[in-house]
Formats: sequence, C-alpha cells, structure tokens
Amino acid sequence: MMRAKIERVLLSAFGAFLLAVPWLVPAIADRFWVSVITEILIWSLFAASVNLLFGYVGLLSFGQALFFGCGMYGVAIGIAKLGLGFWPALGLGVACSAAMALVAGVFAVRLTWHYFAIITLVFSLIFYFLALTLKQLTGGDDGTSFTLPATFRLGAMELSLADKTFQYFFMLATVASCFLVMHRLTASPLGRALAAIRENDTRAALIGLNVYMLRLAAFVISGVLAGLAGALFAFFGRYASATYMFYHVSGEAVVWTIVGGAGTLLGPLIGTSLFIVVREVVSTRWEHHGLIVGVVAILIVIFAPRGIVGLWRDMLERLVRRP
Amino acid sequence: MSEPVLRIEGLTKRFGGLVAVDHVSLALAPRRLHAIIGPNGAGKTTLFNLVCGFLSVDAGRVFFAGRDIGGLEPHQISRLGIARTLQIKSVFNRLSVEENIWIAAHARNRFLHPLRSAAKDRATRERVERVLEEVGLSALAQHAAGTLSYGDIALLEIGIALAQEPQLLLLDEPICGMSPAETGRTVAKIRQLAARVDIVIIEHDMEVVFEIADDITVMAQGAVLASGAPDVIARDERVREAYLGQPDDEDFTQPAHA
Repeated sequence: MMRAKIERVLLSAFGAFLLAVPWLVPAIADRFWVSVITEILIWSLFAASVNLLFGYVGLLSFGQALFFGCGMYGVAIGIAKLGLGFWPALGLGVACSAAMALVAGVFAVRLTWHYFAIITLVFSLIFYFLALTLKQLTGGDDGTSFTLPATFRLGAMELSLADKTFQYFFMLATVASCFLVMHRLTASPLGRALAAIRENDTRAALIGLNVYMLRLAAFVISGVLAGLAGALFAFFGRYASATYMFYHVSGEAVVWTIVGGAGTLLGPLIGTSLFIVVREVVSTRWEHHGLIVGVVAILIVIFAPRGIVGLWRDMLERLVRRP
Repeated sequence: MSEPVLRIEGLTKRFGGLVAVDHVSLALAPRRLHAIIGPNGAGKTTLFNLVCGFLSVDAGRVFFAGRDIGGLEPHQISRLGIARTLQIKSVFNRLSVEENIWIAAHARNRFLHPLRSAAKDRATRERVERVLEEVGLSALAQHAAGTLSYGDIALLEIGIALAQEPQLLLLDEPICGMSPAETGRTVAKIRQLAARVDIVIIEHDMEVVFEIADDITVMAQGAVLASGAPDVIARDERVREAYLGQPDDEDFTQPAHA
C-alpha cells in the first residue's frame, strides 16, 4: 500500500514536471533541453516497442529500427513526394510500419529466442540496404527532407510543429497516449495471454491459446509503436534517413529497455532518458560516451537484471518493510 | 455401446528407426477412468503427444467424441475439450496462481480484449475462484506459481486443466514426486473428478492405478499388450511377464520444475 502511494506521488510529480517543461526548463537551464526532452519522449516510445515484445511476450527483436524507418519514410515520402498533409502523412507512416511488421512477423514469430533475434536483425538489414539503394524513392545516403505542413488549421490560424512548445506537447500527448494504451494492454485479457505465452508457450497452446497468431498480433502492435515513434521523429527532424534503419538503432533500444527494466511500463522511458542525457552532457566534452553506455549496461545486467525499475522496487520494498 | 470418447485406430509414430507407437488401437468408453501403464519407453507419453497434437501422426487416426482430430494444432484440440497435464510439470512460473487459472479459464474466448481490465471480468473470476477451491489452492492464489512446492504445482496444473472445463482430461503421471499426503489428496481429487470428466491417466504407481482405474491398458514397446478391467489385467500372463514381474525400477525422479 505504502509502496503504491509513494510511486503514485512520484508519478504525479513526474507528470507535473513533463507538463511544465516548456516553461520550467528554459528558466532553470537552457532552452536546448526542451528539444532533448522531446527527443527522449520519442525514443522512449521506440524503446517501449522493444519492451512490449521482450518484456511482455518474451521475444527479443533486434529489428525494430526497420519499423521505425518505415514510419519515418512514410511521413517523409508522403509529404515530399506525394504532397500529403500532416495527418495523412502520419497515417501513411504508421500504415507502412504496420504492413512491414505483418510481412516480417509472418516469418519471424515462427521462431523464438536467438533465432527470432537473428531473423528480425536480418530483415532489418535487408531493408536497410534496400533503402540505401533505392535512391529515387528514399534519397539514399542523403535521406529525404521535407517542409513541415500545418498540423491544425483554424481559419487563417495555423498550428504547426515549427512552434517548439506545440511540438513538445504534441509529442508528449502522443507518447503518453501510447504508454496509456500499453498500460491497459498489459492488464487486459490479451496482455495476460501474452504473458502466459512468455512464461510457457507449450502450456499456452495446451490451454487453447493460438500462440502463433497472438505472437503475430503482438509483433504488429509493437511494429506500429516503433513506426509511430519513427513518424514522430521524422516530423521532429523534418527528414527521413536510412541511417535510422540500421541495426545499431535497434540495439540501442534493446539496451535502453534492459537497463531501464524490461517488462515494466516506465523502464524504457527511464533507460532512454538516462542514456540520452548522458550522451548530451558528455558528448560535448568527450567523444567516447558510448563507453559509459557500455559500462552501465554491463553493470546493470550483472547486478540488477530487472533494470533500474527493478532496483528501485527492491529498494522501496526494503525501505517500507523497515520497522 | 455409446460412442467412445476417444477412439484410436492403428496409430503409429516413428522417430528415425524407432517405432515409438506401433499400430495402437484403443476405444475408451465414456464415464470410465482409464489408466495406461507400461515400462519406461513403452510409448505412453508419445501416445498422449499424438492425441493432443504435439506430434504429427505417421499413420492411423484419432477420433475425439466421433470427430477426427488428426492434423489439428494443439490449441484447436484443446478448444474441442481435451485438456492435459505434462509429465514434467508445466505452469506459468512468474504469474500468480490465480492468473494461471484465470488465463486457462479465459483462453477459450476467441476474442481476447486488448484494452479492458482483465481483473474486472466477473464471470471468469468466479470460475477461477471455484477452481481454486476445488484444487485447494485458494490460500496460495496470490503466490507466483514458480514458488510453490512440487505437489502444489502438480495440483495447479490439474487446476489449469479443470479451468478449461474439458470433456476429456489426460493426466501424465499426476502424482509423480508427491509426498504420501499429497498423493492421497490428489488421488481422491482425481476419483471425484472422474464422476464428471472422462479421464485417461498415465501412472507408474501400481497401487494407485489398481485403486482408481475402471479400465487399464498395458503398453510395451509401443504396442498395446493388454486392455481390460483391473482384475483381468492383474491375472494376464503376458502382462506379468512384461511388466508386473519386473522389479520396481522406475527412475522417474524429475526435479521440481521451478
């Protein structure tokens, strides 16, 4: 009870902080950090897509960047080549990633463990090189940039992501809704069925769960989340590039998730925040910030296999139990 | 005679050169508790694996309540009303006992709602409570399944099977590794269940088998050696030679699956 209360207070404080970011952060630090926090929100949604598969279904995907890239290109090509508006382009990005996740998933979810990890990796590599080659469509190495269309139009008034505060709240609202949906999902009948498959797929089949279809459904949902993150990131950077489809990007999200705490709702957010903040702080002075990432990841895996969230819960447990 | 609940015709399974199940034919009458016995390697568990769809059949057919279930996937067979427990106990370790039963009770629903709260599903919850009471695990409902004692895990596995409300229950060595007290409790439970569910049990404990079974089938080297009432089986010369005459050399000491 006590624990739940402490966590609720902390969550409320965190929520209040997120709502105050556009005013609070420039006041106490640099305006540049609003941008960093916006980026953290987007990448934590991407990490959450890894977490959905790994933490809740037990499938470790090293190919999430493929769906991220599909979301990005869907938006960029939609606007730059097809002349779509904001919302249709966003829809195209999400639809592309969903379709790609369905195609990849049909093959990938037949496998589990390292075989699954490898096939997702291979899939993403194939499409990474394909994206590099199809210069006409993707812009190859240079990527595709575009001009931001308006998000809302009210008469002569236009609201677009060019307004940094609006951009921040747009990303916050989208990412927060996704986390809310994931929260509902994990406590739903579907979420329990997925947890059952994670724990014991043999037993899950014996009680009548269609393991293959359920894994495929989870894979597509996860692909859509990754694709949505990619679409947001395209809007954030006003361009799409094959660089973000490289497996290195997938791997980072896996590390963020595991360090933050796989199988917990906010683990990916915490892991992502930690590493992006470290990167932003350290990279101006020292180019090898990747070393810090590596050391932290190794320490966490060895000493806190349930990640930072697991570590925190253990601490809280001890604190509350103390007479 | 009414339609057999399970009818097996010429069922054969080969693993390379080994014929694990060799032209087995059986017809199990409804409302009887059947036991399958036989030395290790006789093909008993393979037979279960063929019936529940884990293994593909090389030859022969399996009918459940008159319906050919050959070629169906395990989850499809499960939905028709066949539940089974495994020789090596198999539950959802990191889920609570209650969640274990819950998902088994709910799995029959084709549609798994992605957003509604599972905890608010009253119909399923009531069934879960009934099953928990029936297998005597109500007090442990909130414990993670992986932390239970071996005997309680075996009971939970039976509970998971019951939550599916099956017509046919396949029990693979349900009391293996249990303490005498747990064995007594479980045997009583199985006998009680037999009144409303058709049960096939694989068991090595002869005392238990002859105590609870209405019919016994003896398998050896993949084939059916004899089939009949317990007193007939006890008097059968071939069975004596192949099985009962041997010293008690069963080496099934599987570790608790934690």
